[in-house]
Amino acid sequence: MSGILWRRLRLFLTRDRSTEDLEQEMRLHRELRAEVLSRSGRSPDDAEREAARRFGHTVRIAEQSRDAWGWGNADAFWQDARYAARRLRQRPGFAGAVVGILALGIGATTAMFSAVDAAFLRPLPFPRATELLTLQRVNIPSALRLERPELVVRSFDIDHVREMPDVFSHVAAYAAGGLNLADPERPRRVRAGVVSAEFFATLGVSAAHGRTIGAADAGAEAPRVVVLSWGLWQNDFAATDVIGTTIPLNSARYEVVGVMPRGFSFPQESDLWIPMSIPATWATFEPFRGYLPSLVIARTAPDVSQAVAETRMREAWQRVVSNMPREPGQELNADRSLTEIREKGATESLRAQLVGDRRTALLVLFATTALLLLIACANVTNLLLSHGASRSRELAVRTVLGATRGRVLRQLLAESVMLSVCGAAVGIAVAPVVLGALRTLMPEQLAGVAPVQLDLRVLAFATTLAVVTGILFGLWPAFGATRGSAVAAIKAGGGHGASAGGTRRAQRVLVGGEIAMAGVLLVGAGLMLKSFERLVSTETGMEPDQVATLELSFVRGMSQPARIDRLAAILDEVRRVPGVTAAGAVNDLPLRGGGGIGISVKVDGAPRSAVRLFPRYLVASEGYFEALGIERRRGRYFTDVDGTGTDRVAIISEAMASAYWPDQDPVGRTFIFGGEDPPVRVIGVVADVRESGLERDPGPQMYFPARANIDINMAIVARGAAGGGTLLGALTRAVRRVDPAQAVYNVRMMDDVIGASMASRRANTMLIALFGLLALVIAGLGVYAVTANAVAQRSREFGIRAALGATRGALLRHVGGEMAVVVVSGVLLGAALAWAVSRVMAGMIFGVTVHDTTTFVAAPLVLVLAVALATLVPARRAMRVEPVTVMKSE
Amino acid sequence: MREDIPPGTLDMLILRTLARNPDQLHGFGIAEAIAGNSGGVFIVEEGSLYPALQRMLLQGWIVGDWGRTADNRRARYYRVTPSGRRQMDRAVRSYGRVTRAIAKVLNLSPLEA
Repeated sequence: MSGILWRRLRLFLTRDRSTEDLEQEMRLHRELRAEVLSRSGRSPDDAEREAARRFGHTVRIAEQSRDAWGWGNADAFWQDARYAARRLRQRPGFAGAVVGILALGIGATTAMFSAVDAAFLRPLPFPRATELLTLQRVNIPSALRLERPELVVRSFDIDHVREMPDVFSHVAAYAAGGLNLADPERPRRVRAGVVSAEFFATLGVSAAHGRTIGAADAGAEAPRVVVLSWGLWQNDFAATDVIGTTIPLNSARYEVVGVMPRGFSFPQESDLWIPMSIPATWATFEPFRGYLPSLVIARTAPDVSQAVAETRMREAWQRVVSNMPREPGQELNADRSLTEIREKGATESLRAQLVGDRRTALLVLFATTALLLLIACANVTNLLLSHGASRSRELAVRTVLGATRGRVLRQLLAESVMLSVCGAAVGIAVAPVVLGALRTLMPEQLAGVAPVQLDLRVLAFATTLAVVTGILFGLWPAFGATRGSAVAAIKAGGGHGASAGGTRRAQRVLVGGEIAMAGVLLVGAGLMLKSFERLVSTETGMEPDQVATLELSFVRGMSQPARIDRLAAILDEVRRVPGVTAAGAVNDLPLRGGGGIGISVKVDGAPRSAVRLFPRYLVASEGYFEALGIERRRGRYFTDVDGTGTDRVAIISEAMASAYWPDQDPVGRTFIFGGEDPPVRVIGVVADVRESGLERDPGPQMYFPARANIDINMAIVARGAAGGGTLLGALTRAVRRVDPAQAVYNVRMMDDVIGASMASRRANTMLIALFGLLALVIAGLGVYAVTANAVAQRSREFGIRAALGATRGALLRHVGGEMAVVVVSGVLLGAALAWAVSRVMAGMIFGVTVHDTTTFVAAPLVLVLAVALATLVPARRAMRVEPVTVMKSE
Repeated sequence: MREDIPPGTLDMLILRTLARNPDQLHGFGIAEAIAGNSGGVFIVEEGSLYPALQRMLLQGWIVGDWGRTADNRRARYYRVTPSGRRQMDRAVRSYGRVTRAIAKVLNLSPLEA
């Protein structure tokens, strides 16, 4: 067998010579036959003719003989490709239009595929990644709580999971936060993964240099150690030998014990990892704002499926919660967790956890691009149909000259595949533009694990897509073009196909389909745009214009009174900046992302519904509300006296006021907070501020004075008349004047904070709107092309009609009427389809219903207007037909 | 009376012809030899001769070398390789079985066939 392959390869490599040999051999045969015949008494001419006749169709025999070589397909392919390239070069306009339309479709689909691939298909970069599960609502016990036994916490803890080694071989906790890398020249913020001792073992990843974090590092009193990411090691430590050295993080020194391999940065593009002690200590909390956003990850034991793990976890939850000590009739937080576990499950695959709620958005966008590609294909099919009709004579001639129908089909398909491959090439070149927007849309948690990239997988997808679409849109026109009698086609003369009527019918069906699909996309785009408009005009509870913000972390070891003094000094300095009209500080800037902390309070006589609320715990300085423009509803704002004495005071939000003191004035009332005496007195009520997302209604909020107690991490807010850049610079310099070593981060205008919180929605809306617009344009082009083609093909008919007395208006109505049927049915079908599928967008829209009336009226209307325009322009040409010209041209 | 060469037997006829006259026949020569040896019954369709030759070259059953005819024209002369000879034997045996079987069905003695 290998002999055959070898000979075949050799034939292929020497195919030009082999072809010549064969021709020579056959020529000799013909000559010898002629000589034999002439010896038998025929005239030389006659003999030659007879020899040629007996030899049969020379070219065909040569071709059949070459077919035996077995690379006939490859050879023919090159031939087809060369011929196709030549033909397309002859008509650059047509080729350019097709390539352009396909580039849009394939480029958009490829870009979206890279996102879908990263989020759903490409394996996560961990060994046996499907064994990794995240466990819901599992608590990390806190040492701070243990120090205060009066706060009895009853929860399902990570230790409960550790008691199930037959289900989970490993279990670990992690959280993604930030720390200051106190480089004297460039103090800056780094992303820190805070991870329990089993974290790296659970993921199955080991260090590239040194070691990872181990059990000995996780004790509350253990020496501080840090593991660096490959990227940080390369960029900030010049890949030198760092193991054993110490680096300053939040002004404590951490010993570097290891460097992780290239490409590992889980969770969330971490620059470094520090140990999480369990129970969690202050050090664990340091990279966060008073709240540990921990997740628990576990690896299932061998042969344990997620279903089994889920069942066992539910049983464990049930057992643990029912054994919790409680007073008769008392309802615990754990009961709520258990209910949620029953509804939503106790386990989730790591991938599902990382993708989170972006799943729908990604899939809808992918479907959108697929639809766009279908529209593009329908359009190109249409162009090819028009084109094939005018080519039928050329094809007929080729058939008569001995090309088989299969060969002509292959030739036509080679042309369409070449078009789609060119389209794909251009599409891939423009895909990075879409990718830029897509990166904003990708789940942040995926960034370090499955980045969106144009890799070989994506290229393979694009190539496959190109070939498949090429065949898809090429097959129908190719069959149509090769059907029917060659003789009839040649006789028909005018260059128009014999089956022009059939072609026109097919084109109208395709255009109708295009319009319907474009209708679906336009409705989707309309819903997204309207949602975005609603979102932007949402009442945020603040006046974010002209407000500069920055965040900072006080150094470790600074006492509470020292921190309070330092903050006061910074605020004084900021207020002295010319143009600053108000300045303040808060522990959690609204809409900055990341979690906050909710703490239950007790109010005598509050309605039962309020008992289970967890008002957001906020610490604000005097001047904060004025600086951010949070309106006062009752009572007063903080002054620099509040919090300095023994009197405990708080400002609450309207939502909190109406929950605990419905129909009453809460100013002067008190509540018990954190089980501590004395009670806290309410001194003011302010507007609700959207803090965890513009789309989420604000919950109850309570502000405590910063003069009493502040966090390590605070945000400074300053309102000023100066322009953004000036104000931000002045703000940073004011902080540095107080302490030159103070690292600041997230220095940005409040508008940008809000903008960043909407970034993924903006990207989503922009992409869907863009695809909707493209669909509209492509469908419009389709309508234009079909109408123009129909008008051109029937110019003689129109000429005759005009000669027989048809008015121009009548001709216009005739052409327009034909298209009107197509347009109306397409639009109706599209609206019906959109109505049926729009509910998949329920989770993506805001402030509108999936069957929003305005959108369902406006989108089809836009579509009708666009296609009407695309019909009228070429149809008007039909009216201008001069009967005499047309008759003469035939 | 001319007959078409039974399907599938052309390779066998070419191999047999070449086995008897190694390195002496070019394409035209093969066609003439088959026509002559069959008493003019089989006319080899040239349209099937050259594809068959190319196929057999590829299979490695025959090899061809370029030489000169008596009147000094370039021609490719073929001979059977050992593997071609084995293929010929296989084909002849199987053809024998087939004809005997056909004869039995037709109730003729092998001689009559």
